[in-house]
Amino acid sequence: MKQKKSIGRELILQWLTAKGFRPFDFQLNTWDAIAKRESGLVNAPTGCGKTFSVFLGALMEFVDENPADFSSKKNNGLQLLWITPLRALAKDVGRAMEEVMHETGISWKVGIRNGDTSIAERAKQKKQVPEVLIITPESLHLLLAQKNSRELFATLKIIAVDEWHELMGSKRGVQVELAITRIVHSAGCMASNHLLVEDKKSGLNQQPVIGNSQPLVWGISATIGNLEQAREVLLAPLQKEGIIIKASLDKQLEIISILPDEIEKYPWAGHLGIKLAEKLVPIIENSRTCLIFINTRGMSEVWYQTLLTVAPQLAGAIALHHGSIEQELRLWVEEALHTGKLKAVVCTSSLDLGVDFRPVDTVIQVGSPKGVARFLQRAGRSGHSPGETSKIYFLPTHSLELVEVAALKQAIGENAIESKEPMLLCFDVLLQFLCTLAIGEGFRADELYAEIKKTYCYAEMSIDEWREVLQHLTAGGKALQQYDEYKKVTIVDDVYHINSRRIAMRHRLHIGTIVSDAMLKVKLLSGGFIGVIEEWFVSRLEPGDVFTLAGRNLELVMIKDMNVLVRKSGSKKTIVPSWMGGRMSLTANLGRILRETFNKALTDEQSIEIKSLHSLFLLQKKLSHIPRSDELLVEQIEDKNGFHLLVYPFEGRQVHEAMSAILAYRIGRQLPISFSISMNDYGFELLSDQPVPVDDSNVRDLFSSEQLLADIQKSINSTEMAKRKFRDIAVIGGLIFQGMPGEKKKARHLQSSASLLFKVFAEFEPDNLLLKQSYHEVLFQQMDETRLRQALQRIYQNKIILSFPEQITPLSFPIIVDGLSRNNYSSEKLEDRVRKMQAQLEKL
Amino acid sequence: MQSSIQHIIANNTFWLSPQRCIYWEEEKALILSDLHFGKTGHFRKNGIAVPQHIYKEDLQRLIEQVVHFNPKKIIAVGDLFHSKENKELELFAKWRNDFHAIDFILVKGNHDILPPSWYEQKNLTVKEGFYQINEFGFVHDPNEFNMAETAVKYSFSGHLHPAVSMKGLGKQQLSFPCFHFTKKNAVLPAFSKFSGHSIIKPKKGDLVFMLVNERIVPL
Repeated sequence: MKQKKSIGRELILQWLTAKGFRPFDFQLNTWDAIAKRESGLVNAPTGCGKTFSVFLGALMEFVDENPADFSSKKNNGLQLLWITPLRALAKDVGRAMEEVMHETGISWKVGIRNGDTSIAERAKQKKQVPEVLIITPESLHLLLAQKNSRELFATLKIIAVDEWHELMGSKRGVQVELAITRIVHSAGCMASNHLLVEDKKSGLNQQPVIGNSQPLVWGISATIGNLEQAREVLLAPLQKEGIIIKASLDKQLEIISILPDEIEKYPWAGHLGIKLAEKLVPIIENSRTCLIFINTRGMSEVWYQTLLTVAPQLAGAIALHHGSIEQELRLWVEEALHTGKLKAVVCTSSLDLGVDFRPVDTVIQVGSPKGVARFLQRAGRSGHSPGETSKIYFLPTHSLELVEVAALKQAIGENAIESKEPMLLCFDVLLQFLCTLAIGEGFRADELYAEIKKTYCYAEMSIDEWREVLQHLTAGGKALQQYDEYKKVTIVDDVYHINSRRIAMRHRLHIGTIVSDAMLKVKLLSGGFIGVIEEWFVSRLEPGDVFTLAGRNLELVMIKDMNVLVRKSGSKKTIVPSWMGGRMSLTANLGRILRETFNKALTDEQSIEIKSLHSLFLLQKKLSHIPRSDELLVEQIEDKNGFHLLVYPFEGRQVHEAMSAILAYRIGRQLPISFSISMNDYGFELLSDQPVPVDDSNVRDLFSSEQLLADIQKSINSTEMAKRKFRDIAVIGGLIFQGMPGEKKKARHLQSSASLLFKVFAEFEPDNLLLKQSYHEVLFQQMDETRLRQALQRIYQNKIILSFPEQITPLSFPIIVDGLSRNNYSSEKLEDRVRKMQAQLEKL
Repeated sequence: MQSSIQHIIANNTFWLSPQRCIYWEEEKALILSDLHFGKTGHFRKNGIAVPQHIYKEDLQRLIEQVVHFNPKKIIAVGDLFHSKENKELELFAKWRNDFHAIDFILVKGNHDILPPSWYEQKNLTVKEGFYQINEFGFVHDPNEFNMAETAVKYSFSGHLHPAVSMKGLGKQQLSFPCFHFTKKNAVLPAFSKFSGHSIIKPKKGDLVFMLVNERIVPL
């Protein structure tokens, strides 16, 4: 197609040429599409100029529209909204943009808006709106909570969503969907300006702003399995199809496993891997700058300390970066990464995304990355220039992880990258969003319903569900009774508003969908800060228990005011926290390849990982069996803890959670029995105090896909899965206040726990919207019927191998010792269980 | 109604009710703790939509206990009310009026922050610190009570919302709200169903009565 002459493009091309750059095809294509006022999705990996695709396109458009005065025309209003998932990204993206403006003489200003933005800066932005605003989803919602938000977005030309693959599939992605639908439709309303005429009462801008047509929406995404769907979700509010522009930049990837010298002595379970720490030292020393990815914050603390211990010469040249580190230090680390001052940074997903740190030439992944996409993303943090090879080292935290890396290599070879499933019907996010609008300009129910229905997330919402949502906001649920003073959203002249200043303020502090586990500071009694630790881990400990943190053995003394007070301990017996990292589930994709990898367990001479595990596989074979991809292994082991039933479907933890619940339910139907259920990515364990009646006469029926839906429903009700989902939902939906500086003390009488709320809703208001959502989320995310059915049908076709090992096997060990134990199931009467436990106690 | 369990302390007979209160036979007194009345109202007034039925059910259970034991007095060992005044308290006032012949003693807890005149109007006798009948004392928080400084030999408390956890083979674990009796002190479970609990570690010689499905089960 012949491109019409564009001053803007010429200006930008000149600038690029002057800098010695040539635009990539995907950038040119994006510029063309923007010039044609199209929306779409750019698919490009991190670190190849993806920012410039949409951003330069926006600049060109501005120059073309203001050819005479693009370098002097100020106060143009907001032109480009740049939504980014991470605060850490904003500064770098902003700096890159400002450089362009500075060098091309375009008059735009760049503003950054997120949790770190100072009040002064906010005020400045309010007075003079920058042309580009880089913002997180949470801060964008806060903008929508302002009274003048409609005006602010009236001039907007493009909404860009960076790292859309990261946002989609989470509730933050839903926040983005909601914000987009609101902005594009209020722009539409501006154009026809009918709303302003009606809006006399508010005394807002009576002058119709000259209508801007709907802004374009552009997503930028790394490769995921369902790019088409990613585009559909993002553009749904526009009701337009849009285009996908793919960058075809092949980067070479080299994956190197770090092998223990003696695999026989390497642990069968664990999450830390610090035994191999010394092996990292030469790698770090031979690199310019090295990023060491650790799966959790807590473990990264341990790794940082350990590296300093094994390589004291690195002191000052290595740093730690994760989300709970204070901002100043975080920024310092990022700056030092840019300037190449650091040899290595121990980090978590906090450095997954964003602009390049050019000096980085080596990446080390510690522990399983649990997915192909994440592994590729991290590998991509090194060797940025096209043509350069990205090098990633993999350090296993336990021996079987080597099988995982063999599978990862295979998956990358097959380009089997997983999909991100978008979330559907998140009423918690919707409730929060409606309150956000209600403290801003308010909303009209019918109008907003039509807007919300245009999002992908809420497209299937019925009018009854919508009414229920409104009812929840205005009347506090269904119960409308005497003695009630429920107060949140009130309706005046058909407009929904929050008038209480206190409720509005509390809501503002609370906007967001990231519900983090409370982190507690660990301090020595004698003084001295050791690190942070997740509350849920500490809550399981008793004073006197010894745990390991930062490589030190610490005895818990007490917990006081969010501080865990400890003293050093000489005890050898310690608990190593099973950290959050265990919570990421292996994707289905990788599961399949993992199963296939086991086929080659004793025969593969090619794979260095498989070869190194030879002795482990031999032991597994001797004690039990090595499952082939067309087999399902079921092991039954009896020991002093009880009767273990172990099943190895290799489907990833998430599917195992669902499958184990169904199995427990189906066994529990045959006789009264109680189970403690644990799982990892390879399999799951049903542990009982009595023999589990599973043998070759009934084992196949346990995996039947008949009656699946009914059994799913019943097993959800009999385990605690919904209760766990409810925690986040209750926070997002506004039932629980998380930490709130300053106000915390005053709100003390409003504190309650999610488990208590779950209990009282289940008993007193079982049809509550948010309670229902927690069941719904289990049903559709965790217990996804289609996926479970596929898995069960596969197993049903498989040969089921029943094995009764005399002792714990290499496969069972990580589950029994270190599996994530989450659910309990019982078909026994509570009173009977108490009686049994009491009898057991007496025997001791 | 499930049956109560008899418990003797210093020749006095106490009936532990599965409905989370104690009836003291000699004094014809109903002892309860941590009703947290008005908690749902306080949440709802602040825009948190918790189910409203809870407070009604709590009060209904109290009425049933009163009808069942027919006490001359009620002793609340603190946190009878949750926070500032709200409309739900009107229901309490109405109930109080219907049962005005019963003495009602409130040993103040940390949540009882209503103005003195309010308690007075509702015909509640308020005790700061502790309250004593014979050698028995009543105090909200057992940890803030120094028995040695008083003539009290045995005290009844609340505040802690005690629960106890049991472990069994196969990593099984269950926990239940409980009555906790030590040699010198009894801690009652929270009366309100809208209250969390904290797990206690009973010491040797302590007596614990768990609430299992509205039944009392000695540990």
